[in-house]
Formats: sequence, structure tokens, C-alpha cells
Amino acid sequence: MSTIVIDHLARVEGHGGITVEMDGDAVKDVRFDVFEGARLLEGLVRGRRFDEIAPIVSRICSICSPAHSLTSLKATENALGVQVSPQTDFLRELLLRGESIQSHALHLFFLAVPDYLDRPSAIAVAAEHPAAVMLGLRLKRLGNLIQETIGGRAIHPVNAVPGGFGRVPRADQLIAIRGALIEAIPDAEAMLDLIASLPDAGFCHTPTAYAALYSPDSDRYYAGDQLMIVSNGDRATIPAADYRSLTNEKPVAHSHAKHSTFHDKPFMVGSLARLTVNPSRSTTASGKLKLAIPSDNPMDNNKAQAVELVNDLGLALDMVERLIHDGVKDEGCVPVTPRAGTGVGITEAPRGLLVHSYTYDDQGCVVAADVITPTAMNAASLEQHLRKTVEQSAERDEPTLKKKLQMIARAYDPCISCSVHLIRR
Amino acid sequence: MGKPTVGIFGLTGCAGDQLAILNCEDELLDLVAFIDIRDFLMGSSGNDTGCALDVALVEGAVLTERDAEMLRAIRQRSGLLVALGTCAVWGGVAALDRNADRPKLLKEIYGATGSAYDSLAARALHEVVKVDLRITGCPIEKDQFIAAIAGLLNGDLPVYPDYALCTECRMRENNCLLIERGEICCGPLTVAGCHARCPELRIACIGCRGPLDDGNPNSMLEMLEKKGVGRRQVEDKLRTFAPIGAGQ
Repeated sequence: MSTIVIDHLARVEGHGGITVEMDGDAVKDVRFDVFEGARLLEGLVRGRRFDEIAPIVSRICSICSPAHSLTSLKATENALGVQVSPQTDFLRELLLRGESIQSHALHLFFLAVPDYLDRPSAIAVAAEHPAAVMLGLRLKRLGNLIQETIGGRAIHPVNAVPGGFGRVPRADQLIAIRGALIEAIPDAEAMLDLIASLPDAGFCHTPTAYAALYSPDSDRYYAGDQLMIVSNGDRATIPAADYRSLTNEKPVAHSHAKHSTFHDKPFMVGSLARLTVNPSRSTTASGKLKLAIPSDNPMDNNKAQAVELVNDLGLALDMVERLIHDGVKDEGCVPVTPRAGTGVGITEAPRGLLVHSYTYDDQGCVVAADVITPTAMNAASLEQHLRKTVEQSAERDEPTLKKKLQMIARAYDPCISCSVHLIRR
Repeated sequence: MGKPTVGIFGLTGCAGDQLAILNCEDELLDLVAFIDIRDFLMGSSGNDTGCALDVALVEGAVLTERDAEMLRAIRQRSGLLVALGTCAVWGGVAALDRNADRPKLLKEIYGATGSAYDSLAARALHEVVKVDLRITGCPIEKDQFIAAIAGLLNGDLPVYPDYALCTECRMRENNCLLIERGEICCGPLTVAGCHARCPELRIACIGCRGPLDDGNPNSMLEMLEKKGVGRRQVEDKLRTFAPIGAGQ
């Protein structure tokens, strides 16, 4: 018996590790250990009013904070029967594009790429390839500009509230975003060239099930209320309200993240899952990166993020053009009248499907809440891929195995603060 | 003299203050030219986890025994320890209710396995070790972080506003949400430094930067009571980011 332990996973958000127990060459047990402290926000939001919830739960995770904030609002508005304006929906979608651009640029350039180049950090990469790191920083800044303008702050947005926005963006702000997006057109190409030039990382192959928000006619992160799971070529849709039939969570002793399985089989969420569930989003960028969908290689999630980054930049530009052309109305928020009820909100956070659900009393205070994060949904699938990585590795030395295990974990872009299941019914 | 050695650490939290550092896109490469970042788990896999540090930047609250041990070890090896963000300075949202029955909540959320978890009521850093500088905010403001690094490079500590958010808000000529609209705006009791981000957007301040040293909560409670807002609701709001009685 021997054990491979990665005590504290670097270049990811939050605190987690990997333990692989070996019996000779056979893998006995694989654990993705989460030792993020449990903040127990679930118990703590009970009794709080509907307008206090989004700012509290956005603190689950900084990188996904716009997604947490907007998913919370979507669930709350569903529970309270609030119908926001099409403009509000549109601006929320744009905010999530900004989040995705920031998050994907951060993950690709700062967390994932250093592995492919055998460097410990983006700062070390910058010593030899300053242009590549500057490129990442420019794309990241652009995502933050959108988040800052629409959300009022890049991290933990303040401007999105029940019923709408505090203030809508001014024309001069939108023109500034448009200028930055037009300047970024060559950057998107350069980013694709960089990702295409990275060494192959095909060291884990296994059939994988994928789940994502299903939006057949359009590319959406915010709008939509159908989940889809794709497994072995079969496609099944699940209405948002029945999300528990997908997630079916179980607590496990080694982790504060509960594990999700569908029919007792793990599934993966995130960029690769979104492209699998919504095939029309694969574009010429996919061809350039030789990304074939469906994929049996979790490392392809990095390529899928690069494809999405190109899509996000293009879509954000279209959306901003439309806002400039049509004008943005200072329409105020839809008034919210407290009532008893339950509502579910599902969206796509940068690292995958995100579900919030709340039950309110007739005073508009939370009675029960449930949050299921992408990293929690991914935990079982990650463990499966870590196992396959060790089983399929021709090299058996510990440093090589450890490097491969860490690359697989990072390809999932885990957000370990998120993974802690903070809230439930 | 060589570049000052720096470590950047996260205890339990959302990593938002480390992300705020990484969001200094225009300054980041200059920053690493002036400081030698030796230990930064979120940013690098090649860290020196034992070396002496001139400055440790620590975000998050102490929620586990593991957090507390890590914080004591950081204190041991560091010249200056900087608390980064509202969780580190005050306890933050995890300290919403430090009197909550944790074993009961753990059991409700995680079932029987929950009772095995390492889990303590949230504490701010200064409740565990000596803290030399506090940069508050949820998350920290970029300009205050850069000012701190610039100051430390010159042997100074930065000077931050010690007045209420209302001062910044009035200077921006916003209408008062508290007096004119009777909303529970935490501005009078919250320390300035964010340029009144929320009231600027016609949204009431929720106090995410933590309380002012010499605020007068009773006055605000009385005022809102006269407008028909219940005391409990105001108190709940005021203690969202900093528990009552967590004085520095």
C-alpha cells in the first residue's frame, strides 16, 4: 500500500487536496479533499429579508460572485412572482459575459497555462513570455470593465437588486466598453494561437457525462430554465424546478462538498459541458484548437474555455452595440411585494451550472434555502478522472503522477470556496 | 537592500481579496518588480512555505483549527502582518451570528458526517494573533491596496479614511437614502473608502466595509424607529459583516 498526497492544491481558488491510495499499481481509493471551513451561511440567511440575500450569498465565492448574485435574484424573483423587464434580463446576461471573460482569462493564463509550460506561476511565465501574460491581463481587465460598469463592482456586484438595477449604464460607459471590445479582437486571435500552441495533454480518456443549462436557439448564461444531461449520446432534459433529480447530493466524510450524481453516475459541468449540451456554440475556434465534441478528455475543458472566451467577446460586443443603438432606459426597479413561495434559479457560472432555491414566508423572509455549486457537482466526476489518470499513466513515478493529477484538477477550474455546500433546505 | 519578501494567504473566505490583487491588471507586473512574492498558493505552485517574510497579507476569517494554526505559523515568520478584507478585519459574513448553535447547523446541513468537521465560530485575525495593519472592504479597494504596498516600500503605513461613508456620499452630491427615503442605509456607521459605491447607484449601503470606530448606532436606530422601521431589522443589517462586540 502506498499513498500519493497532494496536500494543498496550488493555483486554484480555495483550500483542497488530493489523496490517492494505491495497492501496488492498482488504485484503491481517490479523494478530492476539501478543507475549506464551513461558513454555514444556510442557517445564517434564514429570517433575512429578500433584498438582503443576494449580497450575502455572493460572498460564497469571489470569482463567481456575479453568478451567485444573479442566480440568487433569479430564484428570489421566481419565488416572489416578480417579472423583470427584458432590458434587465439583457443587462444581467451582459454582466455574466463580463464575469466569464474575467474568469476564463484568469484561469487560462494564470492557473492553467503555467503547467503546460512547466512553470510554477504566470509571474514565472512572464519572465520569458511577457507578451503572453500581458495578453491575459488585457483580457482579464476587459472582463472586469464590463463587471464594474454593469455590476457596480468587479467582485461582489452591488448594482443588481431584486426587480432590476440601481442604475443602468450611461451611453459613454457603453461606448468605452465597445472600444475596449473592438481593441480586443486581435487579442482573441492571439489567445487562440497561444492555446493551440500548447503541448498535448491527452493523458486521461474516459466516457464522460455532461450537464449544462440548455438554450437551443441562443448562447445564454443567464436566461433559461431547462437543464440537459448528455451521456453516451443520450440527451435528457430536466426542468429547473426538478433540479434535485439531477444533483441528488450526498454528504461525504472527507469533504465539505457534497457529491452529485445522476442515476448514480458522476457528470461534469463547465465550459466543455456547455459546448456538449449546446453544440451550435462550437465555432471555427474549436477547429483551430482541434476540440472535438463530445470529448472523453477532461483537459479539453481548457480548450472549451478558450472557445467560450472568443464567443463571449463577440457576443458582448453585439450586446453592447445593441444597447448603444437602442438606448438604455432609466426604468427603475419593478416593485417587489413580499409573499410566501418557493423559487428556483439556474444559470451558468464560469465553472458550470449553478442552482439557487429559496422558500420565503409571507413577510418576504427566508425560511429555507438551497445552493448547489458547479464545483460541488463536479466533485464526483473529478474523482473519477483522477482515478483514470493514475490508471492510464505509463509513467509510474510520483512526481509525474502528481503533476498529471494537479493538471486534471485545475482543468476543472475548481472553486473550492464554492464547493462547500453552504445552504440547503 | 533586496526586494521585500511577501506572502499572500487565504484563510476561510471567498478569495475576493486575493482576486482584488490579481485584478490590479495595470499594476501587477510593476508590483512584482518591487516586491518578491515568495508564498502565494492561489497564484503559484512553486512556493517557499517556510522562509521569513517581511510582510504577510492575509485574507479570510479563522473558522477552523487548521486556519488558526496556519495563521499562527504565518505570524511567526512575518515582520508585518496585514489583515486583508472585511473577513480578516472583522469576521465578515461568516460571523453573521457567532452565537448560532454550530453543532446543530452542521448536523442540519451535512447530516451525521457534519459533526466530524473542524468548525469554529468565525473570528477576525486580531482575535487570534497581533495584526499590524488592517485594509478593510468586501473586497478591498484596489487603490487602498496599492497605497499600502507603496507605503510599506517607503517604510510607512498608509493612512485610510476614519470617517463615515456619508462624507464620501455627500461629496458626490447623492440624495440621502436614509433621511430622504427612509431606507436602512448603513452609511453613517460604515467606514469610508469605497467612494460610496452603493448609494452612488441609489442602493443603500449594507456596511460591507465594517463599522466606523466612533459611530452612533443608537441614534440611527432611533431615527429609523420613528420612521416605522423595526429595531431588529436594522440590527440584523448592521451586523451582517461585522459581529457586534468584535471591537478591534
